[in-house]
Amino acid sequence: MPKFVRHAGLLFALLLATAAGATAPDEYQVEAVFLLHFTQFVEWPAQAFGDAHTPFVIGVLGRDPFGSALDDAVRGETVNGHPLVVKRFAGAADVAPCQILFIDRSAVSDANRVIDSVSHNGTLTVSDVAVPGPQDVIIRFLNEDRRIRLRINVDFARTAGLTISSKLLRPAQVIGTIPAQ
Amino acid sequence: MTMNTKVPAIRRQLIQMVLLTSGAVLLLTVTCLFAYDFLTFRQTSQRQLDTLGRAIAANSTAALAFNNSDDAQTVLAAFEVDPHITHAALYRLDGVRFAVYPSNAAAGEFPAQLKADGTGFRFGRSDLVGILPVTEGQRRMGTLFVQSDLGAIYDRMRLYAGIVGLVVCASGLLAYFLSRRLQQRISGPILALAEMANAISTRHDYSVRASNVGAFELDQLTDAFNHMLGTIQSSEARLHVQLGHLNLLQHITHAIGDSQDLASIAQVVVTTLERSMPLQYACIARYDATVGTLTVSTVGAASQAHSERLALQPGTAIVLDDSVIAACVKGQLIHEPDTRRVALPLLQRLAAHDLGSLVIAPLVAERTLFGVLIAARGEVGAFTSADCEFLKQLSEHVALAARQAELNSALQLAYDDLRRSQQTTMQQERLRALGQIASGIAHDINNAISPVSLYTESLLEREPNLSERARNYLTTIQRAIGDVAGTVARMREFYRQREPQLSLSRVDLNVTVQQALQLTQARWSDMPQQKGIMIEVRTDLAQVPTEVMVAEGEMRDALTNLIFNAVDAMPEGGTLTIRTRRVEPSSADEPARIYIEIGDTGIGMDEATQRRCLEPFFTTKGERGSGLGLAMVYGMITRHSAELQLDSTPGRGSTFRLIFNAAGGLTVEPAFATPAIEPQPLRILLVDDDPLLIASLQEVLLGDGHDVTAANGGQAGIDAFVAASGTAQPFAIVVTDLGMPYVDGRRVAAAVKAACATTPVILLTGWGQRLVSEGDIPPHVDRVLNKPPRLVDLRAALNDLAVTAPLKRAQPGRSR
Repeated sequence: MPKFVRHAGLLFALLLATAAGATAPDEYQVEAVFLLHFTQFVEWPAQAFGDAHTPFVIGVLGRDPFGSALDDAVRGETVNGHPLVVKRFAGAADVAPCQILFIDRSAVSDANRVIDSVSHNGTLTVSDVAVPGPQDVIIRFLNEDRRIRLRINVDFARTAGLTISSKLLRPAQVIGTIPAQ
Repeated sequence: MTMNTKVPAIRRQLIQMVLLTSGAVLLLTVTCLFAYDFLTFRQTSQRQLDTLGRAIAANSTAALAFNNSDDAQTVLAAFEVDPHITHAALYRLDGVRFAVYPSNAAAGEFPAQLKADGTGFRFGRSDLVGILPVTEGQRRMGTLFVQSDLGAIYDRMRLYAGIVGLVVCASGLLAYFLSRRLQQRISGPILALAEMANAISTRHDYSVRASNVGAFELDQLTDAFNHMLGTIQSSEARLHVQLGHLNLLQHITHAIGDSQDLASIAQVVVTTLERSMPLQYACIARYDATVGTLTVSTVGAASQAHSERLALQPGTAIVLDDSVIAACVKGQLIHEPDTRRVALPLLQRLAAHDLGSLVIAPLVAERTLFGVLIAARGEVGAFTSADCEFLKQLSEHVALAARQAELNSALQLAYDDLRRSQQTTMQQERLRALGQIASGIAHDINNAISPVSLYTESLLEREPNLSERARNYLTTIQRAIGDVAGTVARMREFYRQREPQLSLSRVDLNVTVQQALQLTQARWSDMPQQKGIMIEVRTDLAQVPTEVMVAEGEMRDALTNLIFNAVDAMPEGGTLTIRTRRVEPSSADEPARIYIEIGDTGIGMDEATQRRCLEPFFTTKGERGSGLGLAMVYGMITRHSAELQLDSTPGRGSTFRLIFNAAGGLTVEPAFATPAIEPQPLRILLVDDDPLLIASLQEVLLGDGHDVTAANGGQAGIDAFVAASGTAQPFAIVVTDLGMPYVDGRRVAAAVKAACATTPVILLTGWGQRLVSEGDIPPHVDRVLNKPPRLVDLRAALNDLAVTAPLKRAQPGRSR
C-alpha cells in the first residue's frame, strides 16, 4: 500500500516537525490533510458526479496557500471510486464545479458571490477566514492556540445538499440547527 | 464360613460403585461445561472487547482525523462502561500515542508507540489485549489499544466452581442415599443367600430353601442355589445310606472273620442283617448242586416266627423255579419288589404272610453256587437299588468267607492227617529199631538156653535112676526154660510189625489173658509196690471154651495195652478185674459171643475223654503216653470185626469190653500132645558155630541112635556134606543153624540141595517163629525149628523127613 505509506510518511514528517518546534508543520499542511479527510465524513449527493469516472475535484480559489502539500495529500487518492484532483481557480469567474472548494483569504472578497453560486450544487465550501456577507463557508478552520478547530454550519451544508457525519460534528463547533432525526 | 474383613461388603461395594459412577459422570459433565464455558466466555469477552473497541474506534475516527485529542479522550472515556477494561489508548497513523484511558494513567502502562500493522487480540496471563485499527470508510485513521483484565473470567470461574462444588456435594449425597436404599434390592437377596449357605454349612440341614425376590438374575441364582441344595440333600441322603451299608458290611465282615465255619458265619449274617438293615425275614439256604435243591440251613433269630408260619424251618427244602436257580448259579441277584404278582409258591407264601418284597442273593465262590441269602421285608418295593447292591456285595463277602472257612478246615484236616502220619511213622520207626534190638537179644537168649533145654530133657528122659528130688529140680528147670523161651517168643510178637493180612488162628482167650497178665506183671505188681501202692488183680475166667479166631499176637497186644491203661488209671492203687464169659446166641444162626472185660477202680473218664480216647495220639498221660494204645486196640477190634464197649464214670473207674464171635468147631489139642515116635537111625550132618549147642545136640541125637557128624561153621558143613555125598555113606539129613558168620544157614541149605536135591535140610533159628509167620521160609529148607529145640519137635521132624526122603528119591525132579 504505497499510497498509505506515503500518506503516513507525510503525516509523520508533519508531526515530527510540529514536535520539534523549529520545523513545526505549516498550518496549511494540516489543513490540506483536513481537506482530504472531509471526503470521509461528508456525503455528497449523487448528482454531484456525472458518472463513475468523473473526478472528485478539490478546488482552491484565490492564491494557493498549500503549496505542494495539497497535491501531495491527494496524489493517488480516490473517493468512492472517483479520482481526486486539485483544481486552482484564480478568481470567482474561474470557478468550475467542484466538490470541495477552499476559499483562500485572498479571494474572500469574492467569496460571498461564489458561495452563493455554488450553495445548491453540492459543493463543500471551506475557508480559514470569515466571509463577509450573508453567505458563509460551510466549514471554517479556526486556529485556536496553534490548533486547528472546525466550525461547521449545518444549515448551509443542508442547503448545499451535503450530509455531514455526526462524527465530524462532535469535535467541531456547530452552527445552525441539527435536524432531529 | 469365615468372613474376610479386608474384603468390603457387597453393600459397601455397591454404594461405592454408584458413588464413583455418578461422581465420574458428574465430574466429566462439569469439566466439559466448565471448559466450554471458559472457552465461550473467552470468546465472548474477546467479542465484547472487539465490539466495544470497534465502537470506540469508530467514534474516534473524527478526533483522529482532525487531530482533536480532547475529543479522543472523551470518546475513550466511554470504556468506563466496562470496569474490566483497565487501559485503552489511541495511536495515530505515525504510531504516536494520541489519547489514553484512564486519563490519569501513567505513560508507562501503554506501549510507547504502536505501528499500524499487527492488529488483533492476544490473551496474556491475566489480561486480554486488543489492537484494533481505526478506519473511516476505507481510510485508516489510527490504532486503538485496549487492555482488559480477565477478572471477569476468573470471577465467573469462581462462581462456577462454587456452583459445581455445591452440585457435586448435593448430587453425591443424593446418590449416596439413593444407592444406599437401592443396593438393598441386590445385596439383600445375595446376603440372604450367603447367610443361608453359612447356616447350612454349620447346621448341615440341606432341607431349607431360599425364596425368590422378583429379580430375574437373582431368582435364577436362587433357583440354582435351591437346585444345588436339593442335589446336595439327595446326595447326602444317598451317602448316608451307603455309609450305613458300609458300616454294616464292615461289622458283618468283622464278625464273620471270627467265625470259622459256615453255620456260625450264616448265623452272624442273618442275625445282624435282620437287626441292622432291618429285615422282617432273613435266612440262608444251602444249595446242593448234585440234586439241584435249596435247603434252609440258618434262620435269623427274629425270623423264627415267620419261619414257622412259612414252613421254612432249617432243613426244609425250598421249591424255586429252575430259572431262579439258574440265575443264582450265574451269580445274579434276584429282586422281587412285589411278591404278590408272581405265581411262584414261595413268593405266594411270603405274600400271604405280609412279606411284600424279596431279595435272593446268591452265595457264589469260585463260580460255584453253594447257597443263597433270602431277605424279605413287609412293604412292597421296600428294597432300594442301594439295598440290593449292598446285599449283593455282602453275599459276595459271605461267600468268600465261607469258602475261606471251608478251605481252612480242609487245611486243618490235612495238617492233622499229616501230623498223625508223621507221628505214626516215627512210632513205627521206633518200634522197628526196638524190634531189631529185641530180635538180636532173643536170638542170643535162644542160643544160650538151647543146651540147657536139650540136656534137661535128655536127662529126664534117659536117666530113670534119678532121685525124686533131682527129677523135680530138672522138671522145674525145664518149665523155667520153657517160660524163658515163651517170654522171648512173646516179646518178638510184641514188637514185630503188622502183617498186611491177618493170619487168624484159633486162640483160647483164657490162655491169652493169662499170658498178658504174666507179661505185664512188672507193671501191675512190682513197679507199684516200689511206690507203696497195691494193685489187686482179679481174674474171673469162663469155664466154658473161650476160643476165638484171632491174630494171637494182636490179641495179646490189645490186652496188654488195656492192662497198662487200667494200671495207669489207678495211681493210688485199686482192683484190676479181668473177666471172660461166653454168651450163647439166641438163635442157631448166630455164633456164640466171647466177652473179655478189663475193669479198674481208677479215676475214670469224663464224657469228652470217653468220646476222644480212641483217637490216635489222644492221651491223658502227657509225655508218658504215646496216645496210640487204645487206637491200636480199636484198630485190632475193627480188623477182627469185633466190638468194643466202654463204661466209665469219673472217680469210679472204667471198664473196656471186647466182644468176639466164638470160633466154631472142636477144640484142637496142642501139637506137643502127639505120641512118642520110635526114632529111626539116620546119618546126620550137624552144622553150627556154637560149640555148646553142637555138643549138646550131638549128644542127644547120638543118644537116639543116630550117626551124627558135627561141622563147626557153614563152610565146614558144606565141605563135609560134599565130601560124604560121593561116598557110600552120604548124609541122610542136614541140621543147620541159620545165623552163622561168613556162610549162613541159607547158603548151607542151597549148597546141600545143589549137591543132592533130595537131602532134607532142617533149619534151626532163634528167629524161627518169626520166619514162619512171615512166610519167610528160605528156599532149599524143608523144616524150620525154633531154638531152643525141643526134643519132641526135633524127633518128629527127623522122622517126617526121613520117611519122605526115600519117597522123594523115588520121584526125581521134584524138589522143594
